[in-house]
Amino acid sequence: MSATRFTGHADYGVGIGLRIPHYQHILDRRPGVDWFEIISENYMLDGGRPLAVLDRILERYRVVQHGVSMYFGNFARPNRDHLKKLKALTHRTRTPWVSDHLCWGSVDGRYTHDLLPMPYTWEAVEKTARNIREVQDFLELPVAVENVSSYAEFHASEMSEWEFLNEVVERADCGILLDVNNIYVSSQNHTFDPLDYVNAVPAARVAQIHIAGHTRHERYILDTHDHPVIPPVWKLYKRAIERCGRTATLLEWDDRIPSFDEVHREALKATKYLPDEKANAAA
Amino acid sequence: MKKRTPPRDTGASLEEIQRLMTRAVTRPLTSGERSQRAWADGSRTADVAASFIKPNDLLTSFERVQIYNQQYWWRILGSFQEDFRGLRAVLGERRFDRLAVAYLEAHGSTSWSLRNLGKLLPAFLENHPALTAPHTALALDMARVEWARIVAFDDPELPPLDPATLARKTPATIRLRLQPYITLLALAHPVDALLRKLRQSTLETGSASNAVAASRRRRPVLLRAKPEPTPLHLAIHRVDLSVYFKRLEPEAFILLTALNAGASLEGACASAFAKSPTGAEEAAAKVREWFATWMELGWLAKG
Repeated sequence: MSATRFTGHADYGVGIGLRIPHYQHILDRRPGVDWFEIISENYMLDGGRPLAVLDRILERYRVVQHGVSMYFGNFARPNRDHLKKLKALTHRTRTPWVSDHLCWGSVDGRYTHDLLPMPYTWEAVEKTARNIREVQDFLELPVAVENVSSYAEFHASEMSEWEFLNEVVERADCGILLDVNNIYVSSQNHTFDPLDYVNAVPAARVAQIHIAGHTRHERYILDTHDHPVIPPVWKLYKRAIERCGRTATLLEWDDRIPSFDEVHREALKATKYLPDEKANAAA
Repeated sequence: MKKRTPPRDTGASLEEIQRLMTRAVTRPLTSGERSQRAWADGSRTADVAASFIKPNDLLTSFERVQIYNQQYWWRILGSFQEDFRGLRAVLGERRFDRLAVAYLEAHGSTSWSLRNLGKLLPAFLENHPALTAPHTALALDMARVEWARIVAFDDPELPPLDPATLARKTPATIRLRLQPYITLLALAHPVDALLRKLRQSTLETGSASNAVAASRRRRPVLLRAKPEPTPLHLAIHRVDLSVYFKRLEPEAFILLTALNAGASLEGACASAFAKSPTGAEEAAAKVREWFATWMELGWLAKG
């Protein structure tokens, strides 16, 4: 369901990621877009053009913040300076929720800038849930955690990825940003049925869905966000919507970015699967 | 959902796994952009990978770790190249890559943003001249200016100085500072002109995302003819959110540097012309003209 406590009770439809090559088109043409997702770290600054553009976007559009380096899954606690900057940005954007990834990526203050996969252990469940709760309490906003694409699995794992996700969000009492492309990519890399994953997710906690394209290599798939969404991913999206109802949906396109209109057209394909607001209310 | 009961923990701790994986991910790649076959202690990387990463029918443990190892280096080298295209043009692709790996091994990212990746590069170049010889001075100038451009792009702006403030006080009591986004540099080469040329041949992009790189991007531009040394004083600043270079007279450079260091206006002016043959009247006229420009550009704030 779109408007729940995990979305700050806000109803969002189909959005797209705000990317630099589209700035001018958006500012000049003011296209009708339900909402934009921003990468928080690109705007956690003290001045200059990025914030100036963001302020102009905020005059006309709803913006939701999505992070790439909070690293909920780090064994260490969240970085307080990062949290302070992030919170300041949430005041600027008035984002109804914030999202970041169910992954780790820094040790002793050294950042990999990657979304590294979790070992699915009980210790990791506890530490990740602790970190998410800390972030949620500090930001005073709902947090949604996103499943990542992965290329490796750990011997230490004690459960499946979706069992891990479910345990974490239950203990942290947070939302889920369900990335159906990531589920597809990981299912191909780790040879599981992606529908098992989608069917196992607690639907009531899904605050947002990501869709995207990827790149297939000979023996694995990389989550490159540089292609249109492929039919098997749309199939997963359809199933997710059947289970979750109308859900805020966002197309990610980060590399070889085509024109704004092409990206927007690709995103709007999602509306075919989304129930409208009235149908959702009646349900 | 009903909470499951955790079984007794028997495996490696989360901290141990993350430390080991971090070492594997951040080890420099080979010249063929593959993971190194030998681990730091001389054992086989394949054995280390197999000790904590599962293989499957598609990939070995080594190959799975290698994907992350490549992604790490492609991502940070890509960002570093974006930030220091001028330096890359000075050194050429292969030398720049060697320098980049040496620098990034010594100074990996300590920020949630890749924006700060090159902050320590000028100091690193000063301490490792062999990496840039025989073009060390030019490389250092270029790195300083390219880092200053990043600062000028998005560092904060203080409320510009109200001209009435200047009128109300005597020069001995006026203390001013430069906007934080401005960097003043004394250079030995006309790096500003070189960068303008290079910018014409490349596009500016760059932002964080959660996508991975399909491969490392290469847009090599080599500056074959190195410019003759030409001392100059440069301010790297911004106007209407765009970054600009402004050449300064030596006395103006000294004056601004002194003001920014906390000197009074009177003291800064005195130090600016202490070794200058400029007469008092001409000096006063210059200072008036400079201040008019700097106020118009919004460079000055209350000290």
